[in-house]
Amino acid sequence: MVQKIRYGDYLGLARTRHKAISYNAITSWDASHRRRPHLRSRDIYRLLAPYVGARALEQTRAVLPVVLFLVVFQYLLFQGRIAGGAAILAGVLAVMLGLMLFMEGLKHGFMPLSENIGHLLPVRASYGGVLMVAFILGAVATFAEPAISALKMAGSLADAAQAPVLYLLLNVHADAVVLTVAASVGLAVLVSTLRFIEGWPFKPLVIVVTLPCLALTAYMASDPALAPVVGLAWDTGAITTGPVTVPMVVALGVGVSAAAGRGDNSLSGFGIVTLASLFPPIGVMLLGLHIAASGESLPTAVAAAATLATEPDIPAHILAALRAIVPLVLILWLIQRFWLREPTQHPDFMAYGVALAVAGMVAFYVGLGTGLAPLGMQSGSMLSAILDSRHSLYPAGAGLTIALLFALALGFGATLAEPALNALGLTVQTLTDGAFQKSTLVYAVAIGVGFGTTLGVAKIIFHIPLSWLLIPSYLLALVMTWLAREEHVNLAWDSAGVTTGPVTVPLVLAMGLGLGQATGAQDAFGILAMASIGPIVSVLAVGIGLQARERFLRLDLFGRAR
Amino acid sequence: MKQPHPPEEFIVLTDVVLITCVVQRGMAEEVVEAARQAGAQGATIFYARGTGVRERRLGLLSLAVSPEKEVILIVASTDQADRIFEKMYQAGKLDTPGMGVIYMSPLDKMATHVPKGIVERFAR
Repeated sequence: MVQKIRYGDYLGLARTRHKAISYNAITSWDASHRRRPHLRSRDIYRLLAPYVGARALEQTRAVLPVVLFLVVFQYLLFQGRIAGGAAILAGVLAVMLGLMLFMEGLKHGFMPLSENIGHLLPVRASYGGVLMVAFILGAVATFAEPAISALKMAGSLADAAQAPVLYLLLNVHADAVVLTVAASVGLAVLVSTLRFIEGWPFKPLVIVVTLPCLALTAYMASDPALAPVVGLAWDTGAITTGPVTVPMVVALGVGVSAAAGRGDNSLSGFGIVTLASLFPPIGVMLLGLHIAASGESLPTAVAAAATLATEPDIPAHILAALRAIVPLVLILWLIQRFWLREPTQHPDFMAYGVALAVAGMVAFYVGLGTGLAPLGMQSGSMLSAILDSRHSLYPAGAGLTIALLFALALGFGATLAEPALNALGLTVQTLTDGAFQKSTLVYAVAIGVGFGTTLGVAKIIFHIPLSWLLIPSYLLALVMTWLAREEHVNLAWDSAGVTTGPVTVPLVLAMGLGLGQATGAQDAFGILAMASIGPIVSVLAVGIGLQARERFLRLDLFGRAR
Repeated sequence: MKQPHPPEEFIVLTDVVLITCVVQRGMAEEVVEAARQAGAQGATIFYARGTGVRERRLGLLSLAVSPEKEVILIVASTDQADRIFEKMYQAGKLDTPGMGVIYMSPLDKMATHVPKGIVERFAR
């Protein structure tokens, strides 16, 4: 006789044993025993591995392409070897680790605070209070910006005889420069907040701010003692808009915008970043004027050797990181706790975030000194070596072409790898309902940065005064701003700030300094400034192109008449 | 308007259960693959947000648990259900706190495309 067994019963017998417990029993017991679950080591591994892995991958993707590009380029075209390859590799790894820790710390330590303040401030504080907090937030965030330390490392390279004011600014008054930049960013955030509350359009504001900035640039350029300051001043604009300032300031802006009830323009949350990169040049140029006017003499003992690779001085780095981060968190926390009277939700998460941010910043500083700065310097000096036709591998014209192509590719590639730009592209695509494609924006910005970098390198090679390039480019941008539509204007000017991240800034700055040192340029700043104006022009061009196409299509649909 | 031609009959399948599994974002692929190897014929995944009891008690480690989740829905035959359930539990590493939850619920019936040969063979 055939016996029938249900297949499910057979599988049930073959499976892993399990016990059944009534959930009713658990819920009543659980309520009275709130305990931390017991974790085996494999549980901890399972929890942490994906968490760490995803974040490590993110930073690797941001850092590695640029670094690899520089290394491969040096091997292939310059046939040069990287001096101190092991130290540079360690430095680059330290930078990746540092950025990973720092970004995660930022997320848990700062962002909840600044988001809370952005939401609650417009509701609970007075008009003046909002503006004051906006100023403080912008100023203090600048100190915590990792790339700002790249500015200090550049100090030792200024030539005291050729560019006395620049030398004084970078070596004697370095802290004053950073303070000026911080105050300028604070002022920029204040003006932006005012704009959100009052509903000022962005186009006239940009024109009103840019024109005096250009006039000041022209005035500085006419004085040979002051001219070298122009490059530094415009570069600080690109340096300040990094991973700390942008999200914090945007969180505030979005909160204020929402509270003021001005959601009419889809891209109106943008625009703060632009002002935050236009005000610092004005501030630094004014500081330069002030120092020149005070007639301060050069210190007698001029700094000896121009060394960029600072010793990995860990205690000093820890102190610097604490000084950058702790005041920011403290101020944010005090505002939230005692002004807005909002309790901190997860004090332990916040402490963890701050600790991570400090550790990350220390690692970043170490990596900056041992990895990014030497790598950038070497690229710069190799670039100048192939330009020198006497003992170069290439004839003069070819060498120049290669150098400029190198700059183009560097700007283009570094921009494509920038995670912030991809995020911006996605936001823009969503906000414009696909009218402005993500890839369109990313490529427009990358091409703009590429051409900007090329112009910047050409400026150093041919000793062109920066103002000759800067003033016409910005005038062109202003004309295009006049023609373009409001939301495209916001987008174009903001994309300039997004492109210069914490890896690109030190690399490009160091490359410029290395190149400048080798070619005997008066000042080696300005590449970043040119890399900022490039995308403004290119994105505006795309915006105007889109507008023109729209108009053409409309004509086509409704006949010849409008 | 012409009405679509109504089907003369359609097949309803019985003896089915629904397995629902909630895991962290990015984990679903692995879990679905395990279910498929255990005999599951399809899976639906959607995104969700949420936190569980245990992960809130993890302290700092709870930061490692993403509140972004993936919800996997699998309709399985009762015979295969227990095996699929078990394999999904293992693939999702659900014995670790914070990794997710899985449950199985009875279904009255399901209907979908059923190949003609199968209809002829099994329909009473």
